[in-house]
Amino acid sequence: MVSKPSIPQQSVGKGKWHKPHLPLPFILIFPSILVLSIVILYPLISSGVLSLFHYELTNPDDMKFTFLKNYQMMFHDDTFWASLKNTLFFTGFSVVISLVIGLWGAIVVDQLPEKFSGLRGFLLLPWVIPGVIVGFLFMLMFDVEIGVANVILQNAGIIKKFLPWLMQAQLAMIAVIIANIWNQVPFYILMFSAGLKSIPMDVKEAAICEGASRWQEFRHVTLPYLKGIMVITSLLMVIRNFNNFPIIYTMTGGGPVYSTTTLVIYIFRLAFEQFNIGYASAIGIVWCIVLLAISMIYVKILYKQDEL
Amino acid sequence: MFRRKFTLGWTITIGATLALLLLWTFFPIYWMISTSFKTNMDVFKLPPDFWPANPTLENYANLFSTATPILKFFYNSFLTALLTVVVTIVLSTLSGYALSRLKFRFREKILVSVLITQMFPLVVMLAPLYVLYNKTHLLNTYTGMVIAFTSFALPFGIWMIKGFVDTVPVELEQAAMVDGCTRLQAMWKVVLPLTTPGIVATGIFAFLDAWNNLLFPMVLTNDITMKTLPAGLVLVFTGAFKHNWGGMMAACLISTIPVIIIFILLQRFLVEGLTGGGVKG
Repeated sequence: MVSKPSIPQQSVGKGKWHKPHLPLPFILIFPSILVLSIVILYPLISSGVLSLFHYELTNPDDMKFTFLKNYQMMFHDDTFWASLKNTLFFTGFSVVISLVIGLWGAIVVDQLPEKFSGLRGFLLLPWVIPGVIVGFLFMLMFDVEIGVANVILQNAGIIKKFLPWLMQAQLAMIAVIIANIWNQVPFYILMFSAGLKSIPMDVKEAAICEGASRWQEFRHVTLPYLKGIMVITSLLMVIRNFNNFPIIYTMTGGGPVYSTTTLVIYIFRLAFEQFNIGYASAIGIVWCIVLLAISMIYVKILYKQDEL
Repeated sequence: MFRRKFTLGWTITIGATLALLLLWTFFPIYWMISTSFKTNMDVFKLPPDFWPANPTLENYANLFSTATPILKFFYNSFLTALLTVVVTIVLSTLSGYALSRLKFRFREKILVSVLITQMFPLVVMLAPLYVLYNKTHLLNTYTGMVIAFTSFALPFGIWMIKGFVDTVPVELEQAAMVDGCTRLQAMWKVVLPLTTPGIVATGIFAFLDAWNNLLFPMVLTNDITMKTLPAGLVLVFTGAFKHNWGGMMAACLISTIPVIIIFILLQRFLVEGLTGGGVKG
């Protein structure tokens, strides 16, 4: 019925329609670009510009062009360095621990027979819960007096007295990291499960035939195939964790005394509680640069390993 | 297809891991539920009851009767989330299709820049955005919220749908167009049905992002009756009310139920969406 079109065979996904006069692509994409420009591009450029000014919303007429003074101020700002350190700490631990748990979890779930696959759905639950609620919930569980965390630890004999979780610097950081991990592990499990399913069956069977132990199979078959997804997932989550606001804000508000203040919280406070827009913008620009640098290093490492 | 035989050691390991994972996953959720049914006295009991000694519905009753406009928060969240889903799906599909099929000069650059937008600190962009919204009267409006939410969900949606469209052979559309379809008809009839998992996944993510988002509603609305659930709850449970644990947990539970339901119903699309699309190594 349908004769084969006389257009030469195209490879999948590479639609090379040579109709250069059609403005169609632009019509299709324009709405998206518009939205993204309004909400992301314009504010970004605006922030870059604002960072060069001394601009406080409480005194909007007193807007002085101070060039790099904000950046100078940042260099000497202890809170800035503390929040940078906290951000790296928070992100680093969250991602690494979540990755390990997620990988192990995905492997275990992958081993289950089909009828248990609904279980994986349940394990994904913490991820859909709003950050605010995770924050409230863990705030309750880590409460000094009635927090269930203390009770469990005490009953397990790990601690004698109740720990003042959210009131002590290091403990507070540990608490928010734990809440964050609880919230995020499901995403890792999800991504790695997808990755595990994409490992070709014949490769796995070949490994078994050749007498590889489970550990050997993991090291030489599973890991190489998962590497791509591991890098993508962890990069995505590093970015996401840099941005993480709800959990920390509701659990500790950045306290006690800036010990859990990450860059986000600091910028938020500067911009919306102290209304110091100029300085906040400057920190934001620095953040972009830090994140871009991390991402580029990441990708470079990835490609280097591919060549080896 | 054959697999290894399960040794006893391995089976125990799997069982133990699974048990731990399930416990770790469900315990906080259970705690939230059980606290929401405790009376105020019971909440502060030491050591806390595992099972509420005097289960009560008073926390829920209080939620709906007092000054906390929780129903309004609900409504705001639902409305903005649903609108975001619709707008995101439409825009992502159009853009994803175009970026996959159509060749034009800026294609690569647009693709990369879409991804880069993910990296930027939303906090920082909120200040200029607030000023912009103020001037254009978008503060405290649903339109403003939906635009903001959509921008958050769009990059991921575009990438996901593009990945899916990439896997659909061009020949199918060519055949349809030979049969007399226009380009758009070919897209509608041929490509879209095949990318449904990606579209649904995009929709789910858009809904989740909109429902769970705290920053945008917190900053872009001053009027408490326009706040969505996360922002509203933060406003309500501050200061003295912070220790109304029972009420807080009840509010949390109610806020979570819609997303849990959606998730349970549609979760297979999530997995399909991530496996079928271009999210590989």
